[in-house]
Amino acid sequence: MRIPRYLKPGDTIAIVCPAGYMPAERAATCIETLQTWGYKVRVGHTLGGPSDNYFSGTDDERLTEFQQMLDDPGVSAILCGRGGYGLTRIIDRIDFSTFVKAPKWIAGFSDITILHTHIWSNYKIVTLHSPMAGAFNDGGAEDVYVQSLRKALNGEKASYECAPHPFNRTGAATGRLVGGNLSLIAHLAGTISDIKTKGKILFLEDVGEYRYNIDRMLHQLKRSGKLDRLEGLVIGGFTDSKDTTRPFGATVEEIIRDVIGEYDYPVCFGFPVSHDRENYALKIGVEHTLCITPEKITLKE
Amino acid sequence: MNRKNFLSSLLTLSAAGPALGGATPALAAAAPATTGAPFPLITPPYLKPGDTIGITCPAGNITLKEIQPATQLIESWGFRIKVGDTVGKRDTIFGGTDEERATDFQKMINDPGIAAILCARGGYGVVHIIDRLDFVGLIQHPKWIIGFSDITVLLCHIHTNFNMASVHSKMCNSFPDDWSKAEPAQAKSILSIRQALAGERMEYTAVPHPQNRAGLAEGMLVGGNLKTIETLTGTPSDIDTAGKILFVEDTGEYLYSIDRMFWHLERTGKLNRLAGLVVGGFKVKPDDPGEEFVRTVVEIVTERVKQYSYPVCFDFPVGHQKENYALKYGIPHILDTRDGQARLSEKSVNIAPLP
Repeated sequence: MRIPRYLKPGDTIAIVCPAGYMPAERAATCIETLQTWGYKVRVGHTLGGPSDNYFSGTDDERLTEFQQMLDDPGVSAILCGRGGYGLTRIIDRIDFSTFVKAPKWIAGFSDITILHTHIWSNYKIVTLHSPMAGAFNDGGAEDVYVQSLRKALNGEKASYECAPHPFNRTGAATGRLVGGNLSLIAHLAGTISDIKTKGKILFLEDVGEYRYNIDRMLHQLKRSGKLDRLEGLVIGGFTDSKDTTRPFGATVEEIIRDVIGEYDYPVCFGFPVSHDRENYALKIGVEHTLCITPEKITLKE
Repeated sequence: MNRKNFLSSLLTLSAAGPALGGATPALAAAAPATTGAPFPLITPPYLKPGDTIGITCPAGNITLKEIQPATQLIESWGFRIKVGDTVGKRDTIFGGTDEERATDFQKMINDPGIAAILCARGGYGVVHIIDRLDFVGLIQHPKWIIGFSDITVLLCHIHTNFNMASVHSKMCNSFPDDWSKAEPAQAKSILSIRQALAGERMEYTAVPHPQNRAGLAEGMLVGGNLKTIETLTGTPSDIDTAGKILFVEDTGEYLYSIDRMFWHLERTGKLNRLAGLVVGGFKVKPDDPGEEFVRTVVEIVTERVKQYSYPVCFDFPVGHQKENYALKYGIPHILDTRDGQARLSEKSVNIAPLP
């Protein structure tokens, strides 16, 4: 396992959009804030570029820019402006050889889950599952979640707490942290970017999915042997999950509880990792300790 | 254990003692198979007049009244019907609890008086019960399993694990209340189920599509609902597509999601060694405002397969639509798009392999 060098004042953070389109003004507060934190910011052309469609640029444009930032020794971290959809289309064309020699931080979540799982599965280099540019808006820059990104980049060790949940399963677990967006993890199954969960603490979140589809993806993980040998499970937010006209008959929490009912590792629900504001920065690949008691849940690096 | 040994051990087990219980842990533990080749294709016996078709709900629920148009028509074809316990049952969106659906399906598998199992409808739910089903009885007494959409799970599973053929077709919920008022395409689609079960050699011609890629291919026909195929990846029900003709259809997915699924096929090695690709109906969910994906399904597919040279056809009449012909799943077929049309025909045993 290798951890990229933590950032110092004066280091450069690049902001790119390797997936969906993001208007430049949506990232303005993020850029200002990173500067007040003492970093230089390099803004990629894919942020607010000339694209008139779903993507922030053509596959070639997104790939070329990401590759430049990855290879540029003057860039210490790459913060993705937003997710959306698009990394699948370029991930196999990214050349990680320079990155492997000189790792740097790659930060983001949602579609960026593809980068996290691909890099950890193939190169064992730590990345950062974290808020992105949009999270800085509307006062977000001051909240503990965006601040957790700053702390993570600074090298502070993570120590997070969350509120108890009636479905939690108590216990303590230690293991490397892997995970991200459930839809993307399901979508990476069978590919070279597939996640390996044995002996790990797995965290999951998602947005806008139907309950039956969440159920189906969890059964896929289970049937492909990704849930049976976990050290622990951290369930984040399932923001704006939808139900079919005929109700599925179980909440997302109940679905998850039932799918993992036969295992005995500790599980916590409602951890602040999500498409909502509650979204702590998590270092993928770093060993963490998850401690769940009836009163308190802690996740510590 | 390879699949051949696994299969023979299953048979030995069952021959040696009483039938296995409801669960077959060995089945779930079996490694995903690589190809359909290691043991011979099992084609269940075709149906004769007087044979019985069982109707069951392994996924979504349906009422007895709702299956009546299907039972009446099928009986008029000369078959008998056995209605499973799950018809009329409902547990939220499911046709009974997992236990009830698994038990009903298992009874249909084990009942030697049933020659084919028609799934009443799709919906969602087969993955909840697939690993509880004991297929030993099915291997010993093969029978046709019929359905599509969520039933893709069953079709993929028995193809991959047992090299057993099945029928991908409309289900009870697609039979018209009044047969005399059925649209021609719908009536023809439903009659094709009868033809498939009776053992007729199937042959379909799709309307010519300007983006079809010309060619001639031979291979086992596999596929089904694209989203379902994606969510089987990595599980013991996953399909291998090498050397096969793959057909896919879907409904209610966003264009970006369809793009992502075709990339998934590509990245899991399911597109690079195909004999041919049959793209059925795709009912696309409209993009949310500001999230317009711009590309069409045809453009998405064409872009993904441009590096290959096998025949490709679009708008084949299979999917969540009126025109959805019965396809013999896991049976060798020939796809001929040489003249711009697409003709998909079951390979006759008397025809020599393509050079």
